[in-house]
Amino acid sequence: MITGMDRLVAAINGEKSDRIPVFCNLLDQGAAELGIDSLEEYYANGEHVAEAQLRMREKYGHDNVWSLFYVGKEAELLGCEKIIFSKSGPPNVEDFVIKSYDDIVNLEIPDDISTHPGFEENLKCLKILKREVGGKYPICAYITAGMTLPAILMGMDKWLELLLMGPADIRDLLLEKCSDFFRKEIKAFRDNGADVCVYSNPFGSTDFVSLKQFEALSMPWMKRDIEPGGVGGLVYYCGSSRFNKVIDRVIEELGIGVFYLSPKDDIAEAKKIINGRGLTCGVINDIKLVSWSREEIRAEVKRMCDAGMPGGKFLFGTLVMPYDIPEQNIRTMLEAAYEYGSY
Amino acid sequence: MQREIIGKYNEAVFDTDRDRALEVINTAIDHGITPEEIVFDVIIPAMESMMESISKDFDANLAQHFMAAQIASEVTEAMIARFKTPPESLGTIVIGTSVGDMHTLGKRIVSGCLRSMMVNVVDLGVNVKPELFVDKAVEVGSPVIAISSMMMHTATSENGCKRVRELLRERGLEDKIKIVVGGAPYRWDNELYKTVGADAWAENGITAGEVIKKIVMEARS
Repeated sequence: MITGMDRLVAAINGEKSDRIPVFCNLLDQGAAELGIDSLEEYYANGEHVAEAQLRMREKYGHDNVWSLFYVGKEAELLGCEKIIFSKSGPPNVEDFVIKSYDDIVNLEIPDDISTHPGFEENLKCLKILKREVGGKYPICAYITAGMTLPAILMGMDKWLELLLMGPADIRDLLLEKCSDFFRKEIKAFRDNGADVCVYSNPFGSTDFVSLKQFEALSMPWMKRDIEPGGVGGLVYYCGSSRFNKVIDRVIEELGIGVFYLSPKDDIAEAKKIINGRGLTCGVINDIKLVSWSREEIRAEVKRMCDAGMPGGKFLFGTLVMPYDIPEQNIRTMLEAAYEYGSY
Repeated sequence: MQREIIGKYNEAVFDTDRDRALEVINTAIDHGITPEEIVFDVIIPAMESMMESISKDFDANLAQHFMAAQIASEVTEAMIARFKTPPESLGTIVIGTSVGDMHTLGKRIVSGCLRSMMVNVVDLGVNVKPELFVDKAVEVGSPVIAISSMMMHTATSENGCKRVRELLRERGLEDKIKIVVGGAPYRWDNELYKTVGADAWAENGITAGEVIKKIVMEARS
């Protein structure tokens, strides 16, 4: 039987499997899958998250599982004590760790994240996933880049204020600490079984910063983030922002070999830029999956496969699937991806 | 002279160079341009030209949006403090993020744009209940309730824009108060604003300023 890992490895090597790999990022849906009403209760236990990932992969047949709970969990590892939960969507950081520049000076990065109490449930989840599907289906982890992490520690507007208007020494101190945190976090995920590490950095996109700022700020800090552990299994992702304009630089300077595009990036153009040097992931606009008809979903998946499959080294993916997407639309999207993504 | 100052000022803003933008303004002041002229003949036209560029698919980035609003708001505030007589406001609007949403950036950019164009902004903060939006809009006589939502579930929540629409209907205020929404989900689904019961939406903070100012001006006429 061909597994998701077989498909992914074939795609990386530019070979054909039965079909392209299909990554579907179902996170909050896990609570309903287990019949748990509250997302807070669901995410409180790594066993829940792992069990739901396994069940949803079996149910829909896609090729990956996630150890991601919610993005705010990274802030919890750094001292955030208040997360606001909702009934039907991802939680938010309610209380920012950094309220003043003094908090930056005092911010402490844990030595070993694997032993941090906040990582306990992630570890539980990873161990179960590794035991159940390790080597068969890629286990994905999500890690926020050092340059983007401050946004969840102090709020995006305060971070932009510091980033763009200084003081530069405080900005650099925070970036250094966040980069240190990234290095430790990715190591913890890799050491405990993650195969694919999604490197999330909207500041690596020209939707966020100019090319000049990308070169001067984003690139040096990205280099620092990934230098110790290397780029194995690393996926370049800019949180749904476009990054076709920087792909060439990212390949040359960082050596990253997997690109998880924005739904607004031109897939064919991205493939042309990547030019066989890496894997391209076409990403569907999954907000529209809430309201699209069956025909619209199939047409969009076909369009994406037609644009991405020529020349191989292509996979199909989603962003963070909104909770409101009807189950039949999830099925329609995946069945279309399996059909149009077949070789 | 005015065109030259606007050109240099906008160039600095597009480079997200606050210091250079402030230098342009200070040099203009040194050359005898009055604070009133800075606001009405430089900042407002500069902001309007930026809005026009961006709404015509100008390839601006978030850092530029943020800095444009930030600098314009900052300069306007400093200049107003030096006005001979306080300027007349075009009107007041209320803004906030919907229930469950703690994101602040979008409304900060919108607020900065509006303040630089002489529109007062009452910022209700984050995680704002629908009743507060409506009560405050009535209290300050706002023709616009601006609701920012960065997540799909906070945009479509029954306690978000949908409930604000219901309250306006129940209280017979729909002719007097318009709802403008913005945030990531609306950029990914351009029809979503209708689903949640808003009157209008904007692609980004800068164009939101333009949309809201237009409604404020219509309400004045």
